Amino acid sequence: MRNPAAIREQWPDCNWLPDCIRATGATMNQPLKLAVVGHTNVGKTSLLRTLTRDVEFGEVSHRPSTTRHVEGARLSVDGQPLLELYDTPGLEDAIALLDYLERLEQPGERLDGPARIARFLASSEARQRFEQEAKVLRQLLASDAGLYLIDAREPVLAKYKDELAVLADCGKPLLPVLNFSSAGQAQEDAWRSALARLGLHALVAFDTVAPPLDGERRLYESLALLLEKSRPHLQRLIASHAAQAQARRHSGRQLIAELLIDCAACRQPVSRQPDAEQAAIQALREAVRQREQRCVDALLRLYAFRPDTAQASALPLLDGRWGDDLFNPETLKQLGIRLGSGVAAGAATGAGIDLLVGGLSLGAASVLGALAGGGLQTARNYGGRLLGKLKGQRELSLDDAVLRLLAVRQLQLLAALEARGHAATTAIQLDNPQDKRWRTGKLPAALHKARAHPEWSALNPAAELAQAERQAQVTQLAASLAEPEKS
Amino acid sequence: MSPRVSDSPSAIPAPSPLEQLWLCEAIRLREAQGQRLDDREANRHAHAAGGDLAQRIQARALWLARRDGLLEALQHYRHGARLALLVLGLLALLSGAGLALAALGDGQRPVNLFWALGSLLGLNWLLLAGWLLSWVVASPGASSLAHAWRWLSLRGAADARASHLAAALPSLLQPRQLNRWGLGLLSHGLWLLTLSAALLMLLALLSTRRYGFVWETTLLGSETFVSLIENLGALPARLGFSQPDSALIRASGDLALTQESARQAWAGWLLGVFVVFGLLPRLLLALLCFGAWRHGLGRLGLDLTLPAYQLLRHDLQPDSERLGIHDLAPALAQPSAVASQVHSSSGALLVAIELDPQRPWPPSLPNGVADGGVLDSREQRQQLLERLSHTPPARLAIACDPRRSPDRGTLALLGELARSAASTRIWLLPAPAGETLDSARLDDWQRALQQLQLNYSASAPWRWLESGHE
Repeated sequence: MRNPAAIREQWPDCNWLPDCIRATGATMNQPLKLAVVGHTNVGKTSLLRTLTRDVEFGEVSHRPSTTRHVEGARLSVDGQPLLELYDTPGLEDAIALLDYLERLEQPGERLDGPARIARFLASSEARQRFEQEAKVLRQLLASDAGLYLIDAREPVLAKYKDELAVLADCGKPLLPVLNFSSAGQAQEDAWRSALARLGLHALVAFDTVAPPLDGERRLYESLALLLEKSRPHLQRLIASHAAQAQARRHSGRQLIAELLIDCAACRQPVSRQPDAEQAAIQALREAVRQREQRCVDALLRLYAFRPDTAQASALPLLDGRWGDDLFNPETLKQLGIRLGSGVAAGAATGAGIDLLVGGLSLGAASVLGALAGGGLQTARNYGGRLLGKLKGQRELSLDDAVLRLLAVRQLQLLAALEARGHAATTAIQLDNPQDKRWRTGKLPAALHKARAHPEWSALNPAAELAQAERQAQVTQLAASLAEPEKS
Repeated sequence: MSPRVSDSPSAIPAPSPLEQLWLCEAIRLREAQGQRLDDREANRHAHAAGGDLAQRIQARALWLARRDGLLEALQHYRHGARLALLVLGLLALLSGAGLALAALGDGQRPVNLFWALGSLLGLNWLLLAGWLLSWVVASPGASSLAHAWRWLSLRGAADARASHLAAALPSLLQPRQLNRWGLGLLSHGLWLLTLSAALLMLLALLSTRRYGFVWETTLLGSETFVSLIENLGALPARLGFSQPDSALIRASGDLALTQESARQAWAGWLLGVFVVFGLLPRLLLALLCFGAWRHGLGRLGLDLTLPAYQLLRHDLQPDSERLGIHDLAPALAQPSAVASQVHSSSGALLVAIELDPQRPWPPSLPNGVADGGVLDSREQRQQLLERLSHTPPARLAIACDPRRSPDRGTLALLGELARSAASTRIWLLPAPAGETLDSARLDDWQRALQQLQLNYSASAPWRWLESGHE
């Protein structure tokens, strides 16, 4: 995109624009090309998956040389391609390759690195024994720089040093990236000093499976130090990714807030006949389960994890669904959620109606409470419902405990998705939630308000989801979901 | 996207920017109801159309709206709105003329000045006060208007699709209070039309009929009236409307004056008050609303922070896309079985390859077993291979750390070593204390060694090294 205004902004002291465009055109318009190189089985494809947030890029397995082709991915911001990443096959036989490279030199001849590589690529061995290695070197030559991926659990073996020597021959800047850096410190120091001896002083730790929160930023910043010309591109990428992470978090909370409002506002009339009552309870439970599932699906989609991929089933969900049933009292207990008064009272008196319903409340208390809290409009809303009560109908609504469970669960999922790299293939372990606020604290005011507005719930028949007031409460609730816990 | 719009057979004119946003909101509300639309084709079209995210979302909404008949519904609304506006405009014109006629009467009786003013401007002032009050008491007015709109459009809407469209408009306009400004523009505009019609009718009546003007009172003193009339007329007088002097005012309190100058003075005063206190405020408010409406409309856009649009980002404007494979995988040469190429050999040797320097090595060796050291670098490899070619061992045990990856280079070295010994065993070392082996990787090693047809075991092959049997 040759946008003169943008160029002027970047080079304010530029007097003659066309000249500037010509001078900077090459770096402004071309995306930065990076080859991801390294030994086999160090997680090159995983790095690409994590950086592109694409769970289906390439193929990842524990086997060595899973990737034997070169495959690219492009990162864009607002439609402008900024970065091209190339996944390459692993280097497997660097010792023999370095040996071969040295033998390519005629006696009395001194070739520099790129010349040696060029001679190697023209040789027949580059199409036979070292075909895989030749692909890597060709791609590195065609790129602006290389990311040399290291398995931080490995000792610094001679073969890795030879790999670096071969790669250095290409004459391209190399940024070493330590994968699996969470495994231990001992080898990391060894790697640091070994790389320093080879003249590689910049080193980034980036765990592809559980990337640190600012890992991507530090990776791109280190690259910007190495590739001064591409700094604007990389900074734009950093800014855009930060903004998007923020937007995703915001949207995630909004989705959870909508789920909670929908469930809090949900109330359905039920007649006094036991059969009809049971049927209505079952129907409502199923509706709430589906509503929760919709929120889970949306969150997975928001974070670009697909429900049908292995990644999603490895979440604390069973086949993309929560394994523990929402209405099982045991689930509530496990998460340490205070049981609602209805459940507790029912259990104590043995009257059982609320216990039987397990998570659903039946009765007039909520109606009266809402009446006391609501205004004129609320009273109008309740006109028809009070009439229904007189006719012997009652209303089903969700207990507070279920709202708490929903909030805790979805917030946990959101946190897990945020911290999860797109290369992760194993199940994540969720800590017991430390957030006491949702388990036992006071529920936010927005939920109490929603209790009095059945028209706010998508689960109710005559829903008016577009109401400005509902939207305001959703926003407020989403903001309170973002608040850090008060200790 | 535009060619498709103009090519569409039903020839519905392309939606305006506001209508585009309206369609987006309608689609968003529909998706908020729960079901995901089958939007793959729409997404593809929007992705191909290019532009920024907001443009792509609009293109997608337009495509879906066309497919699902929302555009037709929109067209209904357009027709309805045009018709309603026409009817309201006609009504305004007629009622304006009627207002003037009722105020002045047929000229048989003298016109009571304040009755005439009251009937010309009373309702206008009342409703204007109501409108101003609605700004102070904010939400109930807004929501009742929204209810009225919803009720109206539900009666008017033919099907569910149209009802989504109906709900979308307030939801689109409310956040920026555009609905208020729009409704204000509508009501002030209509009143302006009414009052203009009334003004024209007044002018026509006053020019073609003879009216006498009086003011009457029973309770109030005439001084009050004189000052009231003078105060009311002060502002119009500055604009050039005539202002009756106090003698004339007093005289008109008794009976309608028949002299021409008095009638003209009163007619000018009446017109002045009507224009300044009736027409002008409405005109100014209409202009204000128009300006605010235009300003708001210019800044109206999609709220991209809404989750619904964040969810679409991935499909419409992906931040990463795959470029595909552009250097195909080579055919993998299967490693072939290694056979010993040694004819005369003696002794037993233990070597280790690519060990962690922190691992203590070698272990205490039984008698008769030589230590070949740890192989790592090219030079070490070379030295050992040369030594083996001079004095090939009868039994060679190679210790490997299965935490390494069994790559091609290592396997080639194993093969080379095995070829220069009479018989070879691989010892897959156990994990150091406190660690466990990755079973998947161990499995990779076993598979690779099976392909090379090399014997391997997880325990130290001391007895085999010493004696040649287990």
